[in-house]
Amino acid sequence: MRYVKLPKEKVCEFLERLKSMGTLYGPKKISEKFYDFREIGDVKEVEFEYNRTITPPRKYFFPERETVFTFDTVNVEIHETMPEGKPIILFGVHACDIVGLRIMDSRFIDDLPDPYYQIRRENGIIIGLSCLPDEYCFCSVRRTDFVDAGFDLFLHLLPDGYLVRVGTVTGHKLIENSPEYFEEISSEDKDNFAKFETKRRSMFTVQGNWDDMRYRLELHLDHPMYMRESDKCLGCGNCTLTCPTCRCYEVKDLPTLDGTGGERIRFWDSCQFRSHGLVAGGHNFRPTKKDRFLNRYQCKNAYCETTTTSYCVGCGRCTYFCPADIQFKENLLEVYGTGGGA
Amino acid sequence: MSKPDPMKTYETHKCRLLRVYGLTEHEKLFLFRFDDPEIAQSWRFMPGQFVELSLLGHGEVPISICSSARRMGFFELCIRKAGRVTSEIHKLKPGDMVRIRGPYGNGFPMDRFYDRDLLLVAAGLGMAPLRSVFLYALDNRWLFGNITIINSSKLGKELLFAKELKAMRDIATAENIEIIQTATRDPDWGGLTGRAPTHLDKVNVDPTKCTAALCGPPRMYKSMFEQMIKLGYDPRYIFVNLERRMKCGVGKCGHCNIGTATSWKYTCKDGPVFDYYDIISIPGLI
Repeated sequence: MRYVKLPKEKVCEFLERLKSMGTLYGPKKISEKFYDFREIGDVKEVEFEYNRTITPPRKYFFPERETVFTFDTVNVEIHETMPEGKPIILFGVHACDIVGLRIMDSRFIDDLPDPYYQIRRENGIIIGLSCLPDEYCFCSVRRTDFVDAGFDLFLHLLPDGYLVRVGTVTGHKLIENSPEYFEEISSEDKDNFAKFETKRRSMFTVQGNWDDMRYRLELHLDHPMYMRESDKCLGCGNCTLTCPTCRCYEVKDLPTLDGTGGERIRFWDSCQFRSHGLVAGGHNFRPTKKDRFLNRYQCKNAYCETTTTSYCVGCGRCTYFCPADIQFKENLLEVYGTGGGA
Repeated sequence: MSKPDPMKTYETHKCRLLRVYGLTEHEKLFLFRFDDPEIAQSWRFMPGQFVELSLLGHGEVPISICSSARRMGFFELCIRKAGRVTSEIHKLKPGDMVRIRGPYGNGFPMDRFYDRDLLLVAAGLGMAPLRSVFLYALDNRWLFGNITIINSSKLGKELLFAKELKAMRDIATAENIEIIQTATRDPDWGGLTGRAPTHLDKVNVDPTKCTAALCGPPRMYKSMFEQMIKLGYDPRYIFVNLERRMKCGVGKCGHCNIGTATSWKYTCKDGPVFDYYDIISIPGLI
C-alpha cells in the first residue's frame, strides 16, 4: 500500500480540489448534539471529529426514496429513470461505515445487480477518516474498526495532518493529480500513526471478538431478553433507518389523477414495521413486535461472506438514536453470556 | 464469467392475456404470451420459479408459474383473489396487457429428479407450482420413472386443477401415473378423504429411488417428513417450495427474509425451493 502525508494546512485546499470534481458530501454538525452527512458548500464546514452521523452513507447510493420508472397505463409501457452517473465524493467516512458500504455492495452488486445502486456506486469516491470510539462503538468486536478495502483514500489523524493510505487506482490518481498537497511520510509520522492506533484500540468499552455471536444467539432463540426488550420498542424504525447496512425497501405505484400514467417508487422500509411481513389476506409472517425484534437481531448478526463479518458493523447508531433507550450491544452481551468474548 | 448486466435485473416484458379460466371460487388460471417475438423465443423458466406480475398503477405481485416449461413464449399463472392487486388482476379480460419480470428463484433442481420415480404432494394453492413440475414430467416422460401426484384441499370444490387431473385418467394409466385427489374436511365430497400423508400407501413410487416435491402449509411438511422418512424416502431427495412476501424477487428488498443468524436466507433468491436438510437446519423456514 502507498502512504503519503496530507499536512494540516493543505486539508482545505485538498477538499476544494475534491469539490471541483463532483458533488462533495461530508460530515457536518447539524445541531447541538448531532452530525450528518450533507453536501459541502464551504469546505470549512466539514467536521473532522464527529462520533457518528444520523444517516448512514448508503443514502448516497440507495436514496430514501427514488423513482424506478414512470409508466403509461394506456400502452402498458414503462420508462426507466436511471441515475445520471455524476461523480459523488464522500469525504470523512469512518471504518465501520466503509464496511457497511461493502456489505451493501455484496447484496446490491451480486449476480442480480441493482442498476440504480450500481451506477451511483461506480461513480462514487470514498475517502475514509480515522476516529476514536465512544461508549456506543463496538466495531472492534465486529472486526470493522480498521479497513483493508472499500476506500480510495483513508486519512489517519496525526498531530500535524493526516497519514493517507491509498486504496485504489482512483486514490493514486487523486494524489498524482494534486501533488502539491501531499508529501512523503516521515518516521515521526509512522510513530504517531502507531500511537493513535494504540490509543484507539485501548478506548473500546468492549473487547474481544464476536465471531461466534451468531451461534450463541441461535442457541438461545427463546431468551427472555427478546420479550423484555421488544416490550419497550416503539416500532419507530429508527434503528433500521440509521443502520449502515439495512437495505429493505418497499415499492409503490403512484398513478396520476387521470390514471393514464404515474410512477413506481421505492423507499426505505423497516422490518420493525408491522407491514413488513404482511401479505394479502391479512396473514403476517412476523405478527408480533417480538417477532420483528428477534428478526432484526438475527439479521444483523448473520454472516456476510464478502466482508467475513456480521451484517452489523458496530457503529452504535441503533442504540444512540433509539427513543426507547434499547441497548443493542448490552442485549447481545446478555444473550452471549458472561465471559467468553465479552 | 462475464459481469451480469444490471439492466436485466428488474427488466419487465409486455405480455398479452389470452385466456382466463375460472378454477374455483377464488382462483383463476391466466394464459399469457409475450408481446415481443424475440422475448417469446428466448424466455425460459424452470418448474418452481416465479414471476413478478405488474399491473401498472396498482402494483406488482409474485406468482408461481404453473404451466409447462416446454411451451415457449407462453406461460400460465394460477392466481388467488387475495388482496388489492390480485383483485384487479381478476378483473382482466383476454386482450389486456400486463408487464412481467423474471423468472426468479432457484426452481426445482430437475437434474436431481431424472431417472427416479416422482412424488408430488400438493395442498391448496401448492398445486400451482407443482403443476409445472407435473407437466414437465409428462412432457419429458422418458426422464422419469413412475409418477404419483397427491392433490389435496379442505373442500372438494377447492381442489385446484381437479377437472384437468380427472380428465388425465386414461393417459395416466398408459403412462404409469397415479393421481390421488383428496378433500380433508368435506362431508359432501364423494371422493377420497384424509390428509395427504394418509395416502402414502396408495402411491406407485419406490421410496428408495424417488424424488419428492411438496408444496403446502408448514403443518403439512412436518407430518409429511415424519411419514416419508419412516417409509424410507431419502431426505436428500425431498424438496419443498416455500412462499413468503417476495416483493423484489432478486434478493434485495428484504421482505421474504427467513432464518436465524447462522443461516439468513432470502426466500426469493436462495429459494423458494429448499431441501429437507435446509428445513431442519434453518429455524423458521417452515
